Amino acid sequence: MESLVRELKEKIVTTLNLVDVSPDDIDDHEQLVGGRLGVDSIDVLELVIMLERDYSVKIEDREVGSTVFANLKSLADYVAANKPE
Amino acid sequence: MTGPRVFITGMGAVSPAGNSLNALTSALHQTGSALRTLGLFSAPSPLPVGEVPDVPPQQDFPRTHRLAAMAAEEALHNSGAEPDAIVLGGTTGGMLTTEERLKNKQHNPESFQWHGLVTVAHHLARHYNCSGPVINVSTACSSSTAAIKIAFDMLRAGLGKRILAGGADSLCRLTYHGFKSLQLVDPQGAKPFDRDRQGMSVGEGAAMLLLVADDTPPPDAVAEIVGGGLSCDAYHATTPHPQGRGALRAIRAALDEAAIAKTDIDYINLHGTGTPDGDLSEANALSHLLGHKVPHASSVKGMLGHSLGAAGAMETIISAHSIANGFIPANTGCATPDQNMGWEPCLSPVSQKVQTVLTNSFGFGGNNASLLLRGRERGGGLSSKKRVPLTVKGAACLTGAGDRNQSLDQVRTGYDCKGSLPIQDISSQLEANLVRRMKRLPRMALALAKAARSDAGTSRPPGAVFWGTGWGPLSETHDFLDRLEQSGDQFASAMDFIGAVHNAPAGNLGLYFEAEGPNLTTTAGDHSFEQALYTASLMADQLEQEFLVLAADEYHPRFSPLFDASVRSDPAPSDGGGALWVSASEDSREPKIMPPFLAFSTRGAEVIPRLVESLGGEERIREHTGAILLGIPAQLRDTAENQLQEFLDLTGFEGPTVDYRRWTGEFASASGTATVLAVQFVREGMVPASLVGGREDLPLRGREILLLGLGEHITGIRVAP
Repeated sequence: MESLVRELKEKIVTTLNLVDVSPDDIDDHEQLVGGRLGVDSIDVLELVIMLERDYSVKIEDREVGSTVFANLKSLADYVAANKPE
Repeated sequence: MTGPRVFITGMGAVSPAGNSLNALTSALHQTGSALRTLGLFSAPSPLPVGEVPDVPPQQDFPRTHRLAAMAAEEALHNSGAEPDAIVLGGTTGGMLTTEERLKNKQHNPESFQWHGLVTVAHHLARHYNCSGPVINVSTACSSSTAAIKIAFDMLRAGLGKRILAGGADSLCRLTYHGFKSLQLVDPQGAKPFDRDRQGMSVGEGAAMLLLVADDTPPPDAVAEIVGGGLSCDAYHATTPHPQGRGALRAIRAALDEAAIAKTDIDYINLHGTGTPDGDLSEANALSHLLGHKVPHASSVKGMLGHSLGAAGAMETIISAHSIANGFIPANTGCATPDQNMGWEPCLSPVSQKVQTVLTNSFGFGGNNASLLLRGRERGGGLSSKKRVPLTVKGAACLTGAGDRNQSLDQVRTGYDCKGSLPIQDISSQLEANLVRRMKRLPRMALALAKAARSDAGTSRPPGAVFWGTGWGPLSETHDFLDRLEQSGDQFASAMDFIGAVHNAPAGNLGLYFEAEGPNLTTTAGDHSFEQALYTASLMADQLEQEFLVLAADEYHPRFSPLFDASVRSDPAPSDGGGALWVSASEDSREPKIMPPFLAFSTRGAEVIPRLVESLGGEERIREHTGAILLGIPAQLRDTAENQLQEFLDLTGFEGPTVDYRRWTGEFASASGTATVLAVQFVREGMVPASLVGGREDLPLRGREILLLGLGEHITGIRVAP
């Protein structure tokens, strides 16, 4: 799980082109969307695509999305639970 | 003093309902949906779309061009004389063909000669021998509504008597997968204003109108256009303002122009794409405007899908039909109206007298446009319209040498400014977090706009943004198509799609500057800047605040040489642009730009004499011009030199001429850069020796600088002290 969290942090920084943010700067429990990192709804769309492409995990609707992207922990939990073996 | 009125006397439509206006109106009377599963190209799990049936297979021209030609043929069928101008809206141009050729690894430039958005209008201009202004607008979903508004303004300003206005867009992978990546598409087909709506259905089509200026309704007038309004949400790249603030601005501007009471509206043809946020935003705007008294209202996008650049014109035609026939179409697709709206759209057609129609087009990126139509008998005058000179308060440019001062220093020492500035240099004054999602072109636009405003010494928001770009955001377009292809059409980048539309950089400016007024994008190859200037001077009489006119193009190593023949011929890849912060109010201390001349150079047309006349006539040009800057695109050098010779023979001008692309490099918005340099020369009262081939700087002594654009279009810009 640790390595998944680490990997997700790296992908978030790269996919979203976050400036002056290294993966280590992101706290597992800090608010991901609408928080200090400046991640917004358009970024979420890119992350949805990234999840499907890299983990075969689909986010089908906005409600699921808003809980999944709450923070890194919830994201990693969802990916771990839903990625095909 | 009132100007002429504007009437619709010809209409043509190609839609998912069929290849004629008649097919469209019959379908409206029958109410069934014309959405079908995508068949035009293959896609994983194809969705319902609005696809035009029975289009003859590809011959010489891309699909969009053929749809446009079919609709124009119908609109102009009975009309006789050629149009004085053509104003079209569109977002796809030859993209479907481009996609196929890229997939097939075809890399010869001839395969991409119809890629550019404006080539659709060119195709019609050549066919109908139109040698007037041929203008192309690209503001996403509001494109053809904006095009009709521009044509309306042109007719009222006396810039023609008959104008073909409309829009065309074909389905293509970019828009199909792009909207899907935004999660804005309903897998069951669009259900506008339905409680359970999930999104839009992408569509295609073409709709053309012949608009004529007259003091009284001509016998074949279907309806009259009485007003239009444009605005920008300046709220978010894809989500409209929840309370419809920008939409309300556009609607109110239309009502003000038409001098009509909102309670006179009998029918509202809604934008209504079927997206959860979009429909609610529009509903809120109408509730704010009309309270509980919203009249009959319906969206046709549940039947036809959303034809993007064609939608506005299609819906204007439907609105005119509504007036002429006392018929209000149903809001197909809506089974259970959303109770949060406070009113319901028409669930079935209504037959009643219709005299006044409001039609809305609210585009992604927040470009809003609304039009008001009336029955021909209603009458009433409109205030007169005229073009006004623009006083330049601030000017900025970008070239391979850097900003305006760096570019001028370079030129003064006799060196050219060709090249492509590194992106770090372009972004040096831009906050990193602000631009993290922006690739090359939007950064250029933002840097230019900020610098122009700073040069004007103000920090106020611009009252409007007029943006021109020949080729649009090529980096985002390329990366979107590349990612789509690499993933076998499985994955598309939402960020790249949002950034790829030609008006995206202007939308960013709206957001950054909180600019809520008109926000227009003109894409016309090498004359995009001139068209931005033209539309600006047309609308300036309604703008109280200072505003922006700018243009830029980026060099993309793969796409620029493929699409732009002039770029191919120059070994030094170059890009850049120019921006002006201007005002409609007079100020004798600052340079002025006169309303520009635009024409399309069809064979045999007497364009050069008209150009000369517009610039003040032969004698004035000879006596009052210090220097002439020439925009000669490399790919059309021979044509341009013939045009120039005719101009020089006619005017007898013997002063210095400067082939400016030898200094700026070959890129579509070079005319924007050159105009900014001209403004600076007029401010300083002299043209550098290096440009005029002399040992000493040329003093202007109160004389003007002319910029002539030559080639496919012929343009004239006059910069006066």
